[in-house]
Amino acid sequence: MKRVLTILLTLALSVSLAACAGGNGNKGAGNATNAPSEPVKTETPTTDDKKEPVTLKIAWWGGQSRHDYTLKVIELYESLNPHVTIEPEYASFDDHWKKLAPKVAANNLPDIIQMDISYLSQYGSLGQLEDLTPYTQNGAIDISNISEAAISGGKIGNELFAFNLGSNALLSVIDKDMLEKAGGTMPTQDWTWDDFTALGPVLKAQGKILTQDLRHDVFFPFYLRGKNQLMYAADGTSLGYDDDKYFIDFYNMYKGWYDNGNLLSLDKLAQKKGTPEDGELELGNAVSTWGWSNQYILSSTVAKRPFEILPVPGWNENKALFLKPSMYFSISKNSKVKDEAAKFISFWVNDVEANKIIMGERGVPVSSAVKEALKPLLTPEQTKVFDYVAWAEQNSSQMNPPNPIGAVEVDKLLKDTAEQILYNKLSVADGAAKFRLDANKILAANKK
Amino acid sequence: MLSKLKDNNHVVGYVFSAPFIIGFLVFILYPILSSLYYSFTDYNLFQSPSWVGMANYEKMFTDDEKYWKSVFVTLNYVIASVPLRLAFALMVALLLNKTIGGIGLYRSAYYLPSLIGGSVAVSILWTQVFGDQGLVNSALGVFGIDTDTSWIGNPDTALWTLITLSVWQFGSSMLIFLAGLKNIPKDYYEAASVDGANAVRRFFKITLPLLSPIILFNLILQTISAFLTFTPAYIVSRGEGGPLDSTLLYSLYLYKRAFQFYEMGYAAAMAWVMLIVVGIITLVIFQTSKLWVHYESKGER
Repeated sequence: MKRVLTILLTLALSVSLAACAGGNGNKGAGNATNAPSEPVKTETPTTDDKKEPVTLKIAWWGGQSRHDYTLKVIELYESLNPHVTIEPEYASFDDHWKKLAPKVAANNLPDIIQMDISYLSQYGSLGQLEDLTPYTQNGAIDISNISEAAISGGKIGNELFAFNLGSNALLSVIDKDMLEKAGGTMPTQDWTWDDFTALGPVLKAQGKILTQDLRHDVFFPFYLRGKNQLMYAADGTSLGYDDDKYFIDFYNMYKGWYDNGNLLSLDKLAQKKGTPEDGELELGNAVSTWGWSNQYILSSTVAKRPFEILPVPGWNENKALFLKPSMYFSISKNSKVKDEAAKFISFWVNDVEANKIIMGERGVPVSSAVKEALKPLLTPEQTKVFDYVAWAEQNSSQMNPPNPIGAVEVDKLLKDTAEQILYNKLSVADGAAKFRLDANKILAANKK
Repeated sequence: MLSKLKDNNHVVGYVFSAPFIIGFLVFILYPILSSLYYSFTDYNLFQSPSWVGMANYEKMFTDDEKYWKSVFVTLNYVIASVPLRLAFALMVALLLNKTIGGIGLYRSAYYLPSLIGGSVAVSILWTQVFGDQGLVNSALGVFGIDTDTSWIGNPDTALWTLITLSVWQFGSSMLIFLAGLKNIPKDYYEAASVDGANAVRRFFKITLPLLSPIILFNLILQTISAFLTFTPAYIVSRGEGGPLDSTLLYSLYLYKRAFQFYEMGYAAAMAWVMLIVVGIITLVIFQTSKLWVHYESKGER
């Protein structure tokens, strides 16, 4: 009895462990190719007309509203190109990448992948993505209305691994009504971090906070840009800034806000889903939110009231402000229908009808023709964003090169370190030193 | 030749057991062996694995603070949740062992949390119960304790919400205890009452010793499953193991290494260490069982 029990338990244990460690072979490998019902054609001698049926797989991340309109664009494309069938796969940001990882191992990536700058190095330089340069040269992707600056955001070295879908700029969204009701004055465009800090007590008197948080992996590198420093060294094997003073200055400021009760407390922040629906600004508890320009429209839609846009303090130091591709489409190396995939990308960025559905939700369109065509159709809130990005384009400098491999882990490390500082488990100076040590350890793996 | 095969009884046996044997080889043995191989490699899914010998294991033990953090979190979780869960299960089993009307209904009701327990839905429910606007804070408000801390977001209490969740899912252990209790002959209790033993004494002198094999079984089963706990920590902390890594259970950290940072080799090595450690702990429990488990038939030992 006892021995049998032992064996059974051991077996059950090893089975469940092994399943958890190695059982991620090739999910979704057996996707039936869904041949489209091609309209019956009469036998005519014209041969070029006849197109082979094609199935395109496309994967993106986003929220529900993005899924909805993307599916509409796909429908439009399919109706214009009856020989193409598109199989969509969509998920939230985190799940998108978790789903792609096993597909990399199985050599089974979707034909078109929505790409983010933080993963571009990993997927691009490790040979998972197709260089799109030939497709822009042979016209499969029409770039006649797209500036070189917009395209180059998807390059690693000379290879174009990802095609920019829209431009984004950092901004802060301010609830002007709340601020003025609290007795504050709306800051001007040239405001500084000190101006922001000074608003803290004004709002606190009304039981409001400044903002729920500032994303560490976005705003600390931005702060560094203003000081003419880089987050990552050019070769990607270490951090780019040499002096911990920048880290200490930024996080002293951050901790000041937190300790004064101007930010959302961490225990409550941990519960936030990160959607506009539960954002503190949108709920009317915070006076601002900080992020990318394409997120503004959703914020004001959810909150059902207009906000004001200001550039992030420090934008005018060292031309820190920059335009960033909001996201990209990439074509996977293992795709068998790269030409068709390229045509779809071209349609996405150039077709006016398609962009009337998209309406800049993936960033301000890169095609000047599309931008012009959309202008009369924009709502006042959308116009604010388009105007802000146009203004930013004039007042910005080249963005940093794509983050090196390992940056995803460094970003998490930065968040962890910041939390330890805010929870008083680490002093700011110790945090700066520890972050440097651990981050360099992660990045050292890039040394050849 | 063919007729010889036909006459051979073994063939029929093999044919019928083939689904299991093939399934075992393909879905169990092969993954186990390949995960052992990967644990000695640097494998990021993008490039083919490269052999690094013991480097993964070395890094784990000497150069990964988070790894040790996750070990301590897991040990805390196991040491707190398993005894609590078993005690709770035994307590409820004792209550349900009474013969009163509608007892079947109660048994089903108490088993319910275990039926739905492992699921994502319950973990989401848990974030509502222990959130800043949650049920717990409302209940505390009734007693005049006004608080709006989020129990899940607070590093000091987050793990305890997971432990509570685990204790709440006592159903399967309770059912096994209940079956064990039914097996204890009534005569023993009657004889003890006649001799003047009170309820407490009867519990410690009759119920516990006779139940000890069942307790051993439950203890081992629950310890193993506690070590492997993943879903609640993943859902409650949104896959992060926060705040301040206070809910970073071993399996969650393994998952993060594998699917967030694409370090499959390291994750495989972690899984093997876990297997060995859980194996050792199971053995230790078996060894100590000589001291406290009583079998009615001595011959089987």
